[in-house]
Amino acid sequence: MPAGGAAPAPSSGLAALAAEAAGAAPTPVSLYVHVPFCLSKCAYCDFYSEPGKPDRYSRFVDAALFEAGHWSHYDLLDDVPTMYIGGGTPTVLGTELVRLVRGLRETARLRPDAEITVETNPETTDADLIAQLVEAAVNRFSLGVQSFDDAVLATLGRCHGAARTEAALEVLRASGVPFSIDLICGVPGQSFESWDATLERAVGCGARHVSVYPLTVEDGTPLAAAIADGHQAAPDPDVAADMMLAAEVALAAVGMPRYEVANYAQPGHEARHNLVYWTGGAYLGVGPHAASMLPYAEFQRVAEAEGWKLDAEVAGTPARARFTREVSLEDYLRRPLAQPEPLEVLTAQEVMREDVMLGLRLSRGVAVEMVEAAGLGETLASLAERELVSIAEDEDGAARWRTTQRGWLLGNQVFGAVWAGE
Amino acid sequence: MTDPTLIRNFSIIAHIDHGKSTLADRVLQLTHTIEDRDMVEQVLDSMDIERERGITIKAQAVRVLYTADDGVEYTLNLIDTPGHVDFTYEVSRSLQACEGALLVVDSTQGVEAQTVANALMAMNAHLEIIPLINKIDLPSADVERVRHEIEEALAIPAGDAVLASGKTGIGVKDALEAVIKHVPHPVGDPAAPLKALIFDSFFDAYRGVVALIRVVDGRIAKGMRVRLMAGGTDTDVEEVGVRRPVHVPVDELGVGEVGYLVTGLKDPSLVKVGDTVTLARHGAHEPLPGYRDVKPMVYTGLFPIDGDQYPELRDALDKLRLNDPAIIYEPESSHALGFGFRCGFLGLLHMEIVKERLEREFDLDLLATAPSVEYHVHKTNGEMVQVHSPQDMPDPGTVDRIEEPYLKVTVLVPPEFVGAIMELTELHRSTFVNMQYLSATTVEMHYEMPLSELIMDFFDQLKSRTRGYASLDYEVMDYRPSALVKLDVLLAGKPVDALSFIVHKDKAFARGKMLTEKLRGIIPRQMFEVPIQAAIGGKIIARETVRAMRKDVIAKCYGGDISRKRKLLEKQKKGKKRMKQVGTIEVPQEAFMAILKVDEG
Repeated sequence: MPAGGAAPAPSSGLAALAAEAAGAAPTPVSLYVHVPFCLSKCAYCDFYSEPGKPDRYSRFVDAALFEAGHWSHYDLLDDVPTMYIGGGTPTVLGTELVRLVRGLRETARLRPDAEITVETNPETTDADLIAQLVEAAVNRFSLGVQSFDDAVLATLGRCHGAARTEAALEVLRASGVPFSIDLICGVPGQSFESWDATLERAVGCGARHVSVYPLTVEDGTPLAAAIADGHQAAPDPDVAADMMLAAEVALAAVGMPRYEVANYAQPGHEARHNLVYWTGGAYLGVGPHAASMLPYAEFQRVAEAEGWKLDAEVAGTPARARFTREVSLEDYLRRPLAQPEPLEVLTAQEVMREDVMLGLRLSRGVAVEMVEAAGLGETLASLAERELVSIAEDEDGAARWRTTQRGWLLGNQVFGAVWAGE
Repeated sequence: MTDPTLIRNFSIIAHIDHGKSTLADRVLQLTHTIEDRDMVEQVLDSMDIERERGITIKAQAVRVLYTADDGVEYTLNLIDTPGHVDFTYEVSRSLQACEGALLVVDSTQGVEAQTVANALMAMNAHLEIIPLINKIDLPSADVERVRHEIEEALAIPAGDAVLASGKTGIGVKDALEAVIKHVPHPVGDPAAPLKALIFDSFFDAYRGVVALIRVVDGRIAKGMRVRLMAGGTDTDVEEVGVRRPVHVPVDELGVGEVGYLVTGLKDPSLVKVGDTVTLARHGAHEPLPGYRDVKPMVYTGLFPIDGDQYPELRDALDKLRLNDPAIIYEPESSHALGFGFRCGFLGLLHMEIVKERLEREFDLDLLATAPSVEYHVHKTNGEMVQVHSPQDMPDPGTVDRIEEPYLKVTVLVPPEFVGAIMELTELHRSTFVNMQYLSATTVEMHYEMPLSELIMDFFDQLKSRTRGYASLDYEVMDYRPSALVKLDVLLAGKPVDALSFIVHKDKAFARGKMLTEKLRGIIPRQMFEVPIQAAIGGKIIARETVRAMRKDVIAKCYGGDISRKRKLLEKQKKGKKRMKQVGTIEVPQEAFMAILKVDEG
């Protein structure tokens, strides 16, 4: 495995230099780039992406680098612990993706040990491109496998078969870089035999990290339409539950325990970037439909300098801002620095509740003190009565609330109650 | 005071949806009562619900001035009546205030059940009936067929029927000329003691109860002391006036005039539709004929979803009753639903409208239990109790017999659907009386049917089995003994009183089975298994199970998803709030109405 990252490029921000001189550490901010392209839309996908449009790749990379550069002027990319290029399918960009990664590394000051992940799909996992990305310091890949069964892939509207997946896995294994794979269960027509075979292949494919998602039918997708007009059966939640349990057992057996609702990894190979999302860390999203979250003070500093109009009403002290540029690709290309919209401002109280909610998505759970501080002691006690969470001591003897086996499958009961504070 | 010979009081009557209110709009425009720029659709339907649903709930009266072709200016009082069978009594009172009626028949639909019912009512009130064939601008209009139907079915000559379109305004002037020519002017004795008919009333927050009246004899003026004869209530006339349609006070209203009366009373239940206003001293001896107390036909429990809203619901009902004295209510408590009210309504539409108004105008979230009728329970000790709610049914051991209200039901339908009607009515415990051909395209069928069967989804079934062609009218006939039992529903082993209903013994098994099946589909999976049972007495007759929910999790949750997914959770939570917590079980509102949708058909 190559070194995590080359020497970071110097920040252009004078303020950062001043802050460093004064001994104040910059805020760690993770960086996400949303690549809004793919070869073809899958039936279940509701992420923003435009199939085709290779004539826009280069302009998109320019715009994304321009936007990242803009954030760096506000000294928000001076300490970047993780970077994640997702999509869409980033690898459709080909060599433009290499230019993007290199450009971002020049713009942002990545930590020497920064995790740099690129998402890819079987049909675009090209040996040459992967080698160039590794050369550009990418040190983790995430491959959208979904299933090793061609029939299931067809139901999902994926544009690849299992054979193509095997070839992509071979490329990733040969690169020597650790990689993750995504799997989907509970697909209409997917048998338990098919799922067992997929799991068996998954644990033997060299991935050190596996994500397992029960199929969710999102409004407005072709899948939702097919189900609504009766061309497709709806997913059976009982089947999905059994498949999630089967995955947990199969992955734990090969040393990949669950560390989040849908994520399993060899110890040390948990997705650091995603852990930032789940632990209330700051992140900036670049590209159309990419979400950002900053401490409110940082956000306000940028918003004032940019002259953004803020009319969000906040009932309490604002603590965090989460915002997205929900614009089309074309609008993004024209105005990559437009005021983000929508904007959501969370109060200190909401931040605490959200952190507990996200914390309970993790196997390690949440410290009892954090739950008490958020005023959620009673809520968790009542969830415990229903055997959805339990309290236990960790290795250091500190008491933590954790989601139970039953709670993993009925997570919405837990998350909903925590967010509502009931 | 207007010279009675220059007055014409008329009403527009029609089957629902035949274009009555739109036609009224055109009359107002043509007579410049309302200028085009102020025109909104269905001017006379002032409630939001009336406009949205395109129906008239309250009667309205408006005075228009019209200079006829003979050069004389006439005063026309147009009385718009509700079109739905729930409000039949209101229609009959409105008709009493008129000398003539425009009978509107949709040229694309022809004569329907309430065309017949309303025409008969108008004939009984000795009104001059002017047929008007409406919507003639539509391509599917069949004027000759409709003309024929009017003559055949109603024995009303239709050779000179006015041909009109409320939409385009064609024929509206012809209609007014026909009214002037054919409708007799009112006749009364100006010297006799005052007699005025109350044909509707409403509550004004500032002025109290305002009655719409038609003066028959004598005169009424501001300051007079008058008596409402049915209840013997005396009051001083605060104001009289006419509606154009805004209120314009006048010095007095004389023979034949229609207008409003500000009664100064604050309690709407004192001012009853159909009552007679006379002088408090030296008044008339006899009231105008035809008054009766309006009795609710269907009863339902209304409960706030959030139990804390009980006081708000009580206040809302008190306020709503000011505008709709036909509602009655008394407190009811349920183990399952907490505190609420048992409410009586004129019919199912009336019930729906009241519930909707309560929710909309008073911002309440309400749950309605399945409607029931008034049962007469004769006990072995000779006592008779009126039971409005299954919960109040006495112990079967003390009951000699139970009687239920029966209706005379009239269905009008094209001949090809006669078989479908036969089948449907049989499922609803009806007795066939007779049938006759009104024309080659319309058959009139008569049945006797328990009211409790009519409210069991009968109307929707009737429409769907006849592709919308059948129309329905009914009137209350009498009470008859029936073999009725109370069927209880148990969720997770506990009886849920609000789900109980009264059913004919021969149907109990089938309905119990279908209801439990239906409920299995309605009650969402909970975190534990929920058995659903139907029972009579202590005997279980049907059982279904809602399996425990095993998976409910948003698995994908990354940066951009967090806000979105949280909103999804909030939505899920809100959905739950709309459900009623019965013990530990979350029960959606529709479960309490499920029995209505249970039909063997």
